[in-house]
Amino acid sequence: MIVVHRLVRLLVVLLVVTFLSYALLNLLPGDPVTQILGLSATEEARAQVRQDLGLDQPLLVRYLGWLGGLVTGDFGESYITRMPVASELAERLPVTLELLVAAQIIALGLAIPVGVAAARRAGRALDQALTALSFALLSTPVFVLGVLLILVFAVTWQVVPATGWTPISLDLGWNLTSVILPAITLGCGQLAVYARLLRTDLIATLQEDYITLARARGLSPRRILWRHALRPSAISLVTAVGLNLGALIGGTVIIETLFGLPGVGRLIVDSIFSRDYLTVQGGVVLISVGYVAVNFAVDLVYAAVDPRIRRA
Amino acid sequence: MRSRLGWGFWASAGWIGLVLLAAVLADVLPLARYDETLAGPPRSGPSAAHPFGTDGLGRDVLSRVVHGARVSLGVGVGAVLLGLGIGAPLGILAGYRRRATDAVIMAVNDVAQAFPALVFALAVVAFAGANLRNVLIVLGVLGVPSWVRLIRGATLTYADREFVLAARVLGTRDRRILWREIVPNVAVPAASYAFIGMAVVVVAEGSLAFLGLSVQAPTPTWGGLINEGRTLLESAPHVVLAPSVVMFLTVLSFNLVGDRLRSLTDVRESGLEPVRQAAAAPLPSAEHEVRADCLLQAEDLRTHFVTPRGVVKAVDGVSFTLRRGRTLAIVGESGSGKSMLIRSILGLLPGSSVRGGHVYLSGDDLTGYSPARMRSVLGPRLGTVFQDPMTALNPVRTIGTQVTEPLRVHLGMNRRQARAEAVRLLASVGIPDPERTLRRHPHQLSGGMRQRVTIAMALSCGPDVLFADEPTTALDVTIQDQVLRLLHRLREERDMAVVLVSHDLSVVARWADEVIVMYAGKVVERGPAAEVFARPRMPYTEALLQAAPRLTDPVHHRLRVIPGRPPDLVDLPRGCAFQPRCPYARDRCAREAPPLTGSYACWYPRDHAEVLKERADSGGR
Repeated sequence: MIVVHRLVRLLVVLLVVTFLSYALLNLLPGDPVTQILGLSATEEARAQVRQDLGLDQPLLVRYLGWLGGLVTGDFGESYITRMPVASELAERLPVTLELLVAAQIIALGLAIPVGVAAARRAGRALDQALTALSFALLSTPVFVLGVLLILVFAVTWQVVPATGWTPISLDLGWNLTSVILPAITLGCGQLAVYARLLRTDLIATLQEDYITLARARGLSPRRILWRHALRPSAISLVTAVGLNLGALIGGTVIIETLFGLPGVGRLIVDSIFSRDYLTVQGGVVLISVGYVAVNFAVDLVYAAVDPRIRRA
Repeated sequence: MRSRLGWGFWASAGWIGLVLLAAVLADVLPLARYDETLAGPPRSGPSAAHPFGTDGLGRDVLSRVVHGARVSLGVGVGAVLLGLGIGAPLGILAGYRRRATDAVIMAVNDVAQAFPALVFALAVVAFAGANLRNVLIVLGVLGVPSWVRLIRGATLTYADREFVLAARVLGTRDRRILWREIVPNVAVPAASYAFIGMAVVVVAEGSLAFLGLSVQAPTPTWGGLINEGRTLLESAPHVVLAPSVVMFLTVLSFNLVGDRLRSLTDVRESGLEPVRQAAAAPLPSAEHEVRADCLLQAEDLRTHFVTPRGVVKAVDGVSFTLRRGRTLAIVGESGSGKSMLIRSILGLLPGSSVRGGHVYLSGDDLTGYSPARMRSVLGPRLGTVFQDPMTALNPVRTIGTQVTEPLRVHLGMNRRQARAEAVRLLASVGIPDPERTLRRHPHQLSGGMRQRVTIAMALSCGPDVLFADEPTTALDVTIQDQVLRLLHRLREERDMAVVLVSHDLSVVARWADEVIVMYAGKVVERGPAAEVFARPRMPYTEALLQAAPRLTDPVHHRLRVIPGRPPDLVDLPRGCAFQPRCPYARDRCAREAPPLTGSYACWYPRDHAEVLKERADSGGR
């Protein structure tokens, strides 16, 4: 029942998001016909192109037609490149996904030990240093961090290439060197968020009766932290990872531009510059659907983390 | 004010002021023009003439950064004001009006979260034109949902407070309530978020500029400067570093100022927390005799907390002895230090406490044990049961994992042995179908069953002393008796000693051999349970007994309560701590604290011949 309720709500959200993005992009100044034919085209030619593309029809009709296509996986055909938008997105998506997954692995892999260490010594020097560090990381714009990392690792030490992409199918080693720097750049901000969340929740959990009783049973602090306290403290963290995974599909725009990665974000930016409406809209839809789907999955993960939710 | 905000706040505020001033006065300051090429040699590092060096075209980087600040801060201030202007009224409306308005706002929030804001900003700016006005409007509008959420939340917390409800009851007009009561209280969180919002907008504007979609050349922007500098990373890194560092410091400062302002309203962080112990000097202890024939002996046990308000003496000089096979009850009102005494004995105190005195287990001083050695005693020799079985079990682990854990850790059993032993233990505390129970989670059991599980866990390693801190308070009356019988039976079977904390005197009178009565962290009366309850000497004990309802009381008997409140542990009354509430107090009680001599601490103990006479008098009325 709850699942159905949530699904309906998610569908409504998706409908509103697609309509808004479609309507807003279409209402903004700028005409795709001019992009296709150039400024010197005759009025007849323009009208012909309009008719071919269906641009002469009312907005709502065009939106519904486009939406009907989306349901069957047809994102339309780019006005500019004449390529199906769906295949372009499909080509770029693996790059963005690999970047996201690598960034989350780095962020979570560091955030969990850092959060646990800070919570264990809450208020002491280590905790204060880690809190200050995560505050600084949160305040660093990704492009600033990215440029600094390039300066240190690619220019000064020359251990990884500054830009460029090697697909995983071509060479795994080179693929990893091309993803590591962007992933660190993207992961650092997440790391700070995750570590702070986990620290706060862990400190709250450590006040619980069952933790005091675990101590009263003579269990070691290490065992209590990792086996007793971590899982009940992970709900906020799981939520945050879900929100970020979804939201970051769009957030990779900057990173992909900075590091020259052929991902979805880069495709959207390029399409914006070339007024390629349908590709931009397709990208927005992909991001929204990804966000909504990930958050739906997160709800299912809750049950695994906390058995109390399974009953509901 | 200054000390609460800290130096970080003032340094950040100073930096923001500096950048703001430089941005406003950019044209007046003695700087090179930002677009003057060859103001110095191209790509030259920092020098006296060009403190931040020059870029690829020989333009002064400092001047470009200062002019870039105009765009960043201009967009920041503008977008935040726009977001606040639209978001605050909507948020107050949603928080104050609730229902339909609120539902709409929440739905909009759902959509806004799923909307890729940055991509959208890029598209709008690209299509509508990359200029200051468009960037400002787009970033301002995109910030509205966050503002609505924040203001709505702040309004909600105040719309229910007494002073707002009182105003409503008095028939004050809504508009007046909003302006007089709500707006001033929402102002602080709003101011805090204004700074955090500035940080968000400055980063967003930087991102747009980095992609070439903010204010266009020749006007410099921070994001644009960093983008341009990328090509010179190898030959002139200062070109990229200067705007990067300035931008980082600015964003950090906005975040920090916002964070500190928020902590002003956040009670959890505003100085009510206990201060950590200042070089915990262990409290000195008096001379005493260690009695090896006693299983458990506490000598002058003290636990003090150092808080900003003063020292809280939660346990203040408690001594007792306990033999095998006996039950010691600790009674007193809430806050009298009963539970803290148990935690002091077990060494389960928070870091902010200072402990003094000694605890001997079969003559061994536990207070001298290292943490690791103490852990080897907790479980195998000292078992513990807490008051609330709903919070005593870890909600995410199965009963089996939790019951077998001490067996495996302390007794070195393997998984199969531990499981078999756990089945036996659960059966011994009266749990039907123990095999199945092991596979369940705590939320699938009733309160009584859970308490049986926690008792089984406490007994799993065969302790010598069982500490039961109000083990039945959270249970139904019918279950209470079962659990107490169970404890009593287990004590007999295992020849344990039990320390039973309770404020239920009927429980204590029935099950305890000895009793100590605590008030304000001190023992005020002690002795065999039957003796203390039959003839209480200390007026506080008498009051406790009179406050307890009895089945033998006549119908419609008026329940006596202890007048006054439990004392403030930071600011105890002079002399006897009970004296302000004591009906028999005389001058001496307020001057000198009575020592615990023999079985009670009182200058004017109750004389029982007199008590009987009083009773006869009042009964005759």
